[in-house]
Amino acid sequence: MTAQRLGRVTAKYLAFARAAGRRARAQRWSLLGRTVFIGIVLFVFSRIWAAIGPRDGLPGIGPRDLIWYLALTEWPVLSVPQAFLAIEADVRSGDVAVRLVRPVAYVGAHLAEAAGETATRLVFVGSSAFTFAYFIAGGLPADPRGLLLALPLVLLACVLLLLSVTAIGVTSFWVVDSMPFFWIWQKLMFVLGGLLFPLELYPEWLQRVARATPFPYMCWGPGSMAFGFAPGRALVNAAGGLAWAAALAAGLVALSRGARARLSVNGG
Amino acid sequence: MQRLIANLRFARALVVTNLRASLALRASFWLQAAFMAGNNFAFFTMWWILFARFKTLGSWRVDDMLTLFGVVAPGFGLAVALAGGARTLARGIVDGELDPLLVQPKSPLLHWAGSASAASGWGDLASGIGMLWLAGRLDWANAPFIALAIAASAVAFAASSLAFQSLAFWLGDVEQLALQLRDFTLNFALYPQPLFGGAIQLLLYTLLPAAAVGFLPVAVVRAPSVWTCAGALAGAVAWGAVAVGIFALGLRRYESGSRFGARG
Repeated sequence: MTAQRLGRVTAKYLAFARAAGRRARAQRWSLLGRTVFIGIVLFVFSRIWAAIGPRDGLPGIGPRDLIWYLALTEWPVLSVPQAFLAIEADVRSGDVAVRLVRPVAYVGAHLAEAAGETATRLVFVGSSAFTFAYFIAGGLPADPRGLLLALPLVLLACVLLLLSVTAIGVTSFWVVDSMPFFWIWQKLMFVLGGLLFPLELYPEWLQRVARATPFPYMCWGPGSMAFGFAPGRALVNAAGGLAWAAALAAGLVALSRGARARLSVNGG
Repeated sequence: MQRLIANLRFARALVVTNLRASLALRASFWLQAAFMAGNNFAFFTMWWILFARFKTLGSWRVDDMLTLFGVVAPGFGLAVALAGGARTLARGIVDGELDPLLVQPKSPLLHWAGSASAASGWGDLASGIGMLWLAGRLDWANAPFIALAIAASAVAFAASSLAFQSLAFWLGDVEQLALQLRDFTLNFALYPQPLFGGAIQLLLYTLLPAAAVGFLPVAVVRAPSVWTCAGALAGAVAWGAVAVGIFALGLRRYESGSRFGARG
């Protein structure tokens, strides 16, 4: 592929992303809801940590760090849209047949749109998460330098989440209703990813199970940066996350080809 | 009274129709119901982890959390299974889709609410019953109180969703906002009540119906008495009245979509 052609292809998908970003900004109620929701979650969990108190806590990790942990795990999760719904709607309505003949990759276009929406939401949800966490926790984490390391890990988490939800959407080519798969995937992500409670709280065996999956890189990876400045741990998380992103991308490509072949055989 | 009986008969017919519609697509029905039940148990794992480590949260133990989920999940499930139309009322108002219902003799609010059903709701109901069994609450002596609690929670859920969606008569397309308010309600209702202090409690007993869908019905199962039963019923009746009142007021402002069509 020449540089010129690569530029043209990139520009096409960027146009999809920009349009989706503008749509996301126009959905004010939805944006407002997410920004308020993260405040509610942080508030509720501040009450939970207050009720638990210092007993049997995690060594070296205070309630303030735990609030920031939650802000960092929720940030990517609340920023990535439920892209599978758009794919499912195309399959249900039959519009997928029309979209497939366009000169863009069908799944690539949906991925670009979801990425554009994510970029917009990251700004709003991130600002809200930071503000609420600061006031509810009563300041920054004990070592705020870790927050800087969290930024690239949040972006990596978004990539993993985007690839996953898009892959769930592609399953609708086989089952039409992909929502049940989303429920299970989402709850696995909540539990094995350590969305609400850090993995350090889990029993040893469950920690081992969780670390063998991509889920911790979606939540615990960025969240654990609230527990201190740990460049080594951040690098390990980044390497693990990138490896899983490559695996998920390969899986998505294979799934997309299968979906296209299935549609060609069975009709739209 | 005669009108109430007629509406109850109509509601029963809608329930039967919804059940038949759900079961018509058997594979989809079982897939949705089973995955939703799995979803609820997977989510509860987090609470198991927390209670395994800390034993208590305030005065609550894991059995209390199971009871909370065992009432709120079936309440939510029944609401979306039997009054699934509540989810889309705002869009119907904005698009003028109430027209066909307004010329029919039965309550348009009841008709709209009962015109759709989410099969996943039956999974919520099944998983909630399972959680009550795990909590050791499921026995014949408790059964009437459990039924009352779940019914009160379901009515409060459906009614508050309809009330939030009816704001579309004044504010336009508020579907997303209404769904988020419903989610906020569910979110607060699934945490132990003692976590929240005075001002937040006031909010949860008034503007957000977390008390009506969660705290009050759960109290019936945790400590059955005339007072807890009366409290759960009062919460459900109050939100029912709010939903009917807001819808009736809003209907005066309703602008027809001037659509011709048939509705079964």
